[in-house]
Amino acid sequence: MIEVRSVSQSYSRDKEILKEVDLVVREREITALVGANGAGKSTLLGVMTNLLPAKKGVVMLDGVDIRKIKTNEVAKKIAFLKQTQQLSIRITVKDLVEFGRFPHCGGRLRDEDREKVEEAIYYMKLEDLQESYLDEISGGQRQRAFIAMILAQDTPYIFLDEPLNNLDIKYSVEMMKIVTKLVEDLGKTIVVVLHDINFAAAYASHIVAMKDGQVIKEGSPKEVITPSVLNPVFDHDFHIVDHDGRSVCLYYDHE
Amino acid sequence: MEKIAKLRHKFLEFAGQSGYAPTIKHSGSGKRAVVVIIILLVLIAAASALYIYSRTYAKAFRLGVPMTPQAFDSILSRTIPHLYGMGAAAVVLAVVSLSFQTITQSRVLTPSMIGFDSVFVGTQTVLVFFFGAQHFLFADPFINYLITAGIMVVVSMLMFGAILRNHRNNIVFLLMFGLVLSGIVGSGTSYLQIIMNESDFFQVAAATAVNVNNMNVGIINLALPIMAAVVALTLWRHRRYNVMTLGPQQAKGLGVAYEKELKWNLILIAVGMSVATAMIGSLTFLGLLAVNAAREVLKTYKHLPLFIGSALMAALTLILGQSVMELLQGAIPVTAIINLVGCSYIFFLILKENRI
Ligand SMILES: Nc1ncnc2c1ncn2[C@@H]1O[C@H](COP(=O)(O)OP(=O)(O)OP(=O)(O)O)[C@@H](O)[C@H]1O
Ligand SMILES: [Mg+2]
Repeated sequence: MIEVRSVSQSYSRDKEILKEVDLVVREREITALVGANGAGKSTLLGVMTNLLPAKKGVVMLDGVDIRKIKTNEVAKKIAFLKQTQQLSIRITVKDLVEFGRFPHCGGRLRDEDREKVEEAIYYMKLEDLQESYLDEISGGQRQRAFIAMILAQDTPYIFLDEPLNNLDIKYSVEMMKIVTKLVEDLGKTIVVVLHDINFAAAYASHIVAMKDGQVIKEGSPKEVITPSVLNPVFDHDFHIVDHDGRSVCLYYDHE
Repeated sequence: MEKIAKLRHKFLEFAGQSGYAPTIKHSGSGKRAVVVIIILLVLIAAASALYIYSRTYAKAFRLGVPMTPQAFDSILSRTIPHLYGMGAAAVVLAVVSLSFQTITQSRVLTPSMIGFDSVFVGTQTVLVFFFGAQHFLFADPFINYLITAGIMVVVSMLMFGAILRNHRNNIVFLLMFGLVLSGIVGSGTSYLQIIMNESDFFQVAAATAVNVNNMNVGIINLALPIMAAVVALTLWRHRRYNVMTLGPQQAKGLGVAYEKELKWNLILIAVGMSVATAMIGSLTFLGLLAVNAAREVLKTYKHLPLFIGSALMAALTLILGQSVMELLQGAIPVTAIINLVGCSYIFFLILKENRI
């Protein structure tokens, strides 16, 4: 269980990025985090994964302050896909995915680790690319490789910061289907930052809307995908239609 | 012919079944490393032989005296510690340079370049100035070494704080740190050396004038175990360095306690640098050259082969360079050559990567 209790966070002294955030991550569900650029979504994920230890307040992982848990133990429970990836070394897709096993085997791959790596590569449909170097494949393929690494890490909690970055429509849908399968088949708990509200509405069971470092509203897609919630969150006029019982946003300007 | 094809088929089948096939690429890069390492070892053996030859037969021939077995033995017994010393110092410098590059995410910096060496001279000067050259703190090589190492560890902890606080631009910051450190320590040292009395000054000068030709062989019994420990502790972590090359955030996400690693590494680096500097003086560019040469030849990100390759490259460079220098009767000091090549190389690196 992951609980965020009145966490405030800042990078510099004068500006608070997160303000007294409270959040309980729902187990075995997909939670989507939405909000405008700079709302503090990545910062919140950083705090929840302890990459950015909370300055005020506390994040509890299974009842223990996450700052007091060994980095390696946290890495066995939480995997985190960062919003942007850069690497200074030249490695293949497979090398990268193998790194995902590090928390479990310390870099010395056993048979079960190799199996997990192969599974993750298969899941992300990277079999044909596994020997390719990361700087020689497309941005979307690279994104899939990083997600495969997260899957190989095989943790109960998975945090994905804009996983649909660089993915085309087909792979975006496929990605969200994989995420759904991770929850349904393997019982994982997923928190995912999404910019496309419609993806959030279609695949998440719970949506958290953030603005200026605060959680403005959380609830089911039906509750959150309304003009009265989204308009202030994004400072934009939303038009919401009902399509087969699902809320769909039309967000381009329509005079 | 058919038989061979059959055998080959059988082998491939076996390889496929045993899960061998997917790792072929890795064993390929592993094979390359083994070949490179063997070649380097052979070259080092040859360079060592050349070094011994240069100090015995070549010298005797030059002086026109015969090389008696007794004379050979006596020179050899003095030459062997030198070989060990050079080899060990080179290995330590290469290993700490590589770990330093990994933790600072840079291919251009090495610990020598940010002023660790100046701390050695500074410590010697301060000891003599405040306690006198006869005091055991200075005169006892063991105690003296412990003090130097301790101060270097303190400096490395200051650096640790600096890296943590300034992680965004840490390379430029470290260079500045080094510049300021060398500047302050250097001018402080000169000042003390000017106002101290003459005999003390000569003592300091003698203690700090160690270099490859004038090695402090006296501390070799202390130095070798420390060096072995530093190298062993660093190599033991080789898998963690692989993860750290992914960057601090990624490494933390994969369970490496990055700050703790950083701290331990800086301590190991400080200890290694202090012992190498005390024994063989400063070799500013040897680590940089060796590490980058190993990267070029091995073409891998894996640290175990890189550590071994860099260490052997460094030993080879130093021993070979020193032999050539002996053969040329000291016409060109080997450190001058290494520094010249090193400087040009760093220039090339900066131009190539277009960043520091
Ligand atoms: N490393 C940092 N140093 C200083 N300020 C930062 C840093 N990272 C983020 N910020 C600031 O914190 C605020 C929130 O950033 P954050 O990355 O959490 O937003 P976000 O909701 O993820 O936005 P986006 O949708 O653009 O990814 C921004 O105003 C940003 O300027
Ligand atoms: Mg973000």
